[in-house]
Amino acid sequence: MEKALIVIEEMTRVGIIKSYAIGGGIAATYYIEPVLTYDLDVFFIPVKEGLDELAPIYEFARNRGYSEEAEAILIEGFPVQFIPAYNDLVQEAVAEALVTRYHDVQVRILRPEYLTAIALQTGRAKDKERVVRLLESGTLDRDVLSRIVEKYGLTDRLRKLKDSEGNE
Amino acid sequence: MNKSAEQVFEKKRERRRQLAKLPFEKKIEIVVKLQRIAAEIHPDKSRRVWPI
Repeated sequence: MEKALIVIEEMTRVGIIKSYAIGGGIAATYYIEPVLTYDLDVFFIPVKEGLDELAPIYEFARNRGYSEEAEAILIEGFPVQFIPAYNDLVQEAVAEALVTRYHDVQVRILRPEYLTAIALQTGRAKDKERVVRLLESGTLDRDVLSRIVEKYGLTDRLRKLKDSEGNE
Repeated sequence: MNKSAEQVFEKKRERRRQLAKLPFEKKIEIVVKLQRIAAEIHPDKSRRVWPI
């Protein structure tokens, strides 16, 4: 996975994307127990906002000989799904990402409070399950989470989920 | 909730907390093991086992 992460970092360095952060199942796995997932979800802030924010990424990938597979680009054998930061919450989450390492490679990962807020906002069954796991994990800063969910109008969703799970 | 059931659920939560403490690299290895197990049970070409 290191090679794929190096390529993603390089996209930022050479200006294909402005910034990025890993989200989805792999970001969740960073904070909770490992979960079955098949794609490396990469939320990114495009250099230029416009009609086709993915075009520079696909062009970069094609020039490197990477192929496309369904909605993903196969980078060094890893299906990487690039997702433009589609709203204010996701943009803030990418900007505030945790910078860490996988082996010796630098990687940006969504912080658990943002991962929780995005999952709340998305609201599918698997997202709700993820919120429950993150709440149980003890990795969340409750004050930070409260601020984020309030800012993005997600307080009721969080309260309902906690009520249904018997959490706090 | 029934006390015995609650004890079982608490043990499961504790197991998850222990898994959560593993290094990220080790967790990724486990993700790939899960992918391999899933592929054996239900082969699906659109779901690629990661090459690590």
